[in-house]
Amino acid sequence: MRTIEAVRRSGIGITREQTVQEAASIMEHSGVGALVVLEGTAPVGIVTDRDLVRRVLAHGQPSDARVDSVMSSPVITVGADADLHAAYALFRTHGVRRLAVIREGKFLGMLTVDDLLVDLADDLTDLSRPISAEIYHAHHNSTVPAVP
Amino acid sequence: MRAAVGDRIIIKGHRIGEPDRDCEVIEVHGQDGGPPYVVRWGDSGHETLFFPGPDASVQSKEHAHT
Repeated sequence: MRTIEAVRRSGIGITREQTVQEAASIMEHSGVGALVVLEGTAPVGIVTDRDLVRRVLAHGQPSDARVDSVMSSPVITVGADADLHAAYALFRTHGVRRLAVIREGKFLGMLTVDDLLVDLADDLTDLSRPISAEIYHAHHNSTVPAVP
Repeated sequence: MRAAVGDRIIIKGHRIGEPDRDCEVIEVHGQDGGPPYVVRWGDSGHETLFFPGPDASVQSKEHAHT
């Protein structure tokens, strides 16, 4: 499976000159918890709602502080056409919860650990259904229950 | 995805009870109406670059006015 096929959410980019107040407002209106900071279409950082709490509010930073003063950088990226296992490896190696998905240096979307976990949980449910049927119906030829 | 200036993009809520969000397309930066788009969010007037995922759909300007 290619990494781009696992992206579940739209990506929202802001520029490094925009303010933390703007970032917070955009998060509120768009319903996302992380914005990618772009130079053109190249990702240079990520700012999250957690960054706004820990690096702005907790330190009394003004609301007109620039986003690049609080963003996490460099951003960890993964190629859009890379195998999804490459993304798993990057999550393990870097201990991050989001990867910027790129193609030829251009940002395409955000891959999150949360989305991968939801997909994995769905896969596990599908895999366990025949086993559950064996256990609960007590013989090997039992019919696999249909998906509700 | 294809969109034009003036269209609205609807983003479905990701959690139960979370409302859908929407924004207005201000500029189209891709070829043939493709992404990315510059969009404006709500009444805040803030503009961002938007890269649609599978959670996003386009409501055309013409459709919105009918």
